[in-house]
Amino acid sequence: MSATLGNTEEALQTMCGINSTKARRITSDIDKEMAFVSLLPESVERFPWAGHLGLPMVEQVAATIERAKTSLVFTNTRSQCELWYQGLLSVRPEWAGEMALHHGSLDRDSRKFVEDAVRDRKLKCVVCTASLDLGVDFAPVEQVLQLGSAKGIARLMQRAGRSGHQPGALSTVVCVPTHAFEIVEFAAARKALEQEKIESRIPLPKPLDVLSQHLVTLAVGGGFRREDMLAEIRSAYSYRNLTDLEFDWVLNFVTEGGRALGAYPEYRKVQQYEGHYIVESDSVKQRHRMSIGTITSDDSMHVVFMSGERVGSVEESFIARLRTGDRFVFAGRCLELVRTRDMKAYVRLATSKNGVVPRWMGGRMPLSSELSEAVREELGLASNGIYESEEMRLVEPLLRLQETWSRIPDEKSLLVEHMQSREGYHLFVYPFEGRLVHEGLAALLAYRMSRLLPATFSISINDYGFELVSNINIPVEMLSEHHLFNPENLAKDILRSMNASEMARRRFREIARVAGLVFSGYPGKSKTSRQVQVSSGLLFDVFSEYDPENLLLHQAQREVLEQQLEESRLRNAMKRLSKSNLIAVELQRPSPMAMPLMVESWRGKVSSETIAERVARMQLGLTKKPSKPGKSKSSKVS
Amino acid sequence: MNMQIKISGHVEIELEGEKLVLLPQRAIYWQERKMLMVADVHLGKAATFRAQNIAIPAGTTEKDLQTLSQLVVQTGAEHLVFLGDLVHNKRGLTDRICSLILAWREHHDRLNIILVRGNHDKKIPAIAELMRMEIVEEPLSMPPFALKHHPDEDTSGYVLCGHTHPAVRLHGAGQKSLRLPCFAFGNRVGILPAFGSFTGCAEIETTEGERIFVLAGDTVVEVH
Repeated sequence: MSATLGNTEEALQTMCGINSTKARRITSDIDKEMAFVSLLPESVERFPWAGHLGLPMVEQVAATIERAKTSLVFTNTRSQCELWYQGLLSVRPEWAGEMALHHGSLDRDSRKFVEDAVRDRKLKCVVCTASLDLGVDFAPVEQVLQLGSAKGIARLMQRAGRSGHQPGALSTVVCVPTHAFEIVEFAAARKALEQEKIESRIPLPKPLDVLSQHLVTLAVGGGFRREDMLAEIRSAYSYRNLTDLEFDWVLNFVTEGGRALGAYPEYRKVQQYEGHYIVESDSVKQRHRMSIGTITSDDSMHVVFMSGERVGSVEESFIARLRTGDRFVFAGRCLELVRTRDMKAYVRLATSKNGVVPRWMGGRMPLSSELSEAVREELGLASNGIYESEEMRLVEPLLRLQETWSRIPDEKSLLVEHMQSREGYHLFVYPFEGRLVHEGLAALLAYRMSRLLPATFSISINDYGFELVSNINIPVEMLSEHHLFNPENLAKDILRSMNASEMARRRFREIARVAGLVFSGYPGKSKTSRQVQVSSGLLFDVFSEYDPENLLLHQAQREVLEQQLEESRLRNAMKRLSKSNLIAVELQRPSPMAMPLMVESWRGKVSSETIAERVARMQLGLTKKPSKPGKSKSSKVS
Repeated sequence: MNMQIKISGHVEIELEGEKLVLLPQRAIYWQERKMLMVADVHLGKAATFRAQNIAIPAGTTEKDLQTLSQLVVQTGAEHLVFLGDLVHNKRGLTDRICSLILAWREHHDRLNIILVRGNHDKKIPAIAELMRMEIVEEPLSMPPFALKHHPDEDTSGYVLCGHTHPAVRLHGAGQKSLRLPCFAFGNRVGILPAFGSFTGCAEIETTEGERIFVLAGDTVVEVH
């Protein structure tokens, strides 16, 4: 199995089935040596307080790559990967033939080419995403660089393990911060790593979409009988608690179309003959084979050269915003859109070097529970003036500034900052629980407060906390006086507070595909299946109205709560927060912790360049003030 | 003569000197001619899916026919024009759907119905008999209007049509936004929202001088 898993016992049961008596866990006593280094900027004062690209570090990163024969440079998103590839080329143009990029949207052939080239020691460095996390083992890789926080201990270990991939060899990972606070995450990650606090991976509880696909697959391949099948399914860990009712619903869904009363005569997917379930129709068989699998991708468009050579794929919505002749950067090259036809974007190489970089959907990973806790511990130490590691000593000036203008929260307290600006009344809350929990918590607080006061809120979040901006002044005492962090009624309030049905709607997309409700068509024949093309959003609406008891809908709702909002983690966080001391600080100006949240809220409103300028300007204003208190005033007097 | 429309949430507009009523049930009523117009009904669409073994629940066609009945009764229309794509696909014309259509037609047996042929209505001649209606090729000239399915300009008049299933996205405070189906009246072409409840919609870009009316629940609201 894997060294980067916190719950190996559960994983064992998941792999071998719950009834397995023969399964054994073998742990080797070889200690994998791992060097964990941070590549730190010279001073934290001139390093950005917010951001996620980290390009100011490009020269230092290039120098680090130079020192090793072969490096993998991990980024957290595909856009970041493209931008860094360009960034490194601009400071080391001579690397053009020795550097490659690798992410999940590139054409399979070109990815394979890159993988082989690494094995054959032809490349100096590959800029990549999670696409190289697993499955690809490269003996020649000497070092791994991680741009930005890996957001989890297991992921960091996994990536580190891509280098020195032989028994006894040293794995080296160099962590590169993209903003100042991330340096705290590095310090925290190092400690958590030493204490072996590794994240668990929890198997999904009885996903019915997967079950329904599986039953059709079995019916295509020779058929099954109900009793045997139910017993077999229940021996799988995820389905160990599957009820008869649920199983029969799925069985009915694949045979009759899923309605309790009255079958649809025109619907014939799986048929039953004397207790034996099979698929007869060849077209059903063929179509099902095309759709087997649970990895779904967003509606993507193939990007191809006029010659027909495939480059990769980008999201349809990105191409839709481009006009013929517009340029975009993809697969490390600047491409010009020639035309789009049949779900293909035809491109040619552009003469110019500048273009927009596509953004792919797929949210950013939240800070894991283990790493969040480690960050809180690190800050707890800092609040007592203890700065142990090199990383913490580097960020010390920033944290001191935070302490001067506001406070550094320790593990037992919850820091709440408030401030008034032209935009309204700001409330900054820092639970340090990762962005998903903050998303839920922020919406919940806003909802609970709006029941007490006639206020409207806008929300922004990051991994450390969230910001609520309201049109009226919200007294901070309200948070504790009205027990707003009380986990009671959590599920009910959260569903009311967030656009939960919109979230379930998005979630349903994946479920609908896996369950065979959306057929993406035969490869290369985008037009033939037009008559049965439908958006999953519309499907969701139709099911909600005409078949509200459909269990696939319930699955979507449950998954929103459990995975998207991390309900159990949210509940634990609220229990912790309702017991912690609330420290309220009125800010004269945004604190170092508040700034990134304010930036987050601008992101949706102005173009990225103006954000960068605004951030630089504000930061400049910020750093001047504390170092020279009162000076400007005295000069005025004289 | 100014007849009162009994349907709440409608908006009256003047187009080419004629009074048109935009109804929240995604239809236009032309009072002067007692003519109701709807586009893109896509009858039997869910059944088409089921016939291809995709389990879409039933009920959408019933609902659409019911809504159409209410509109006919409440406006007192004598003519009904389908601006194309009345039927989704011939596979969707199952026995059940056919009997629903027949019963509906019987209920409104005095109504004069015309279908301006849309892309989905090709190869489905059976529908003319079921609906007891005339099928015409576009444009159907009704001065000052040219009734069509496809939104191309026409020399014979201001075009009223469907086909694109138009919608616009409205942006609220913060990053919230809402996508709503709409009527879109341009210089020479006006597009109706899709009538069928199992039809999607496509966002359009609004142009200068275009009037956009969104369907916000049971009310028609002008937004542009």
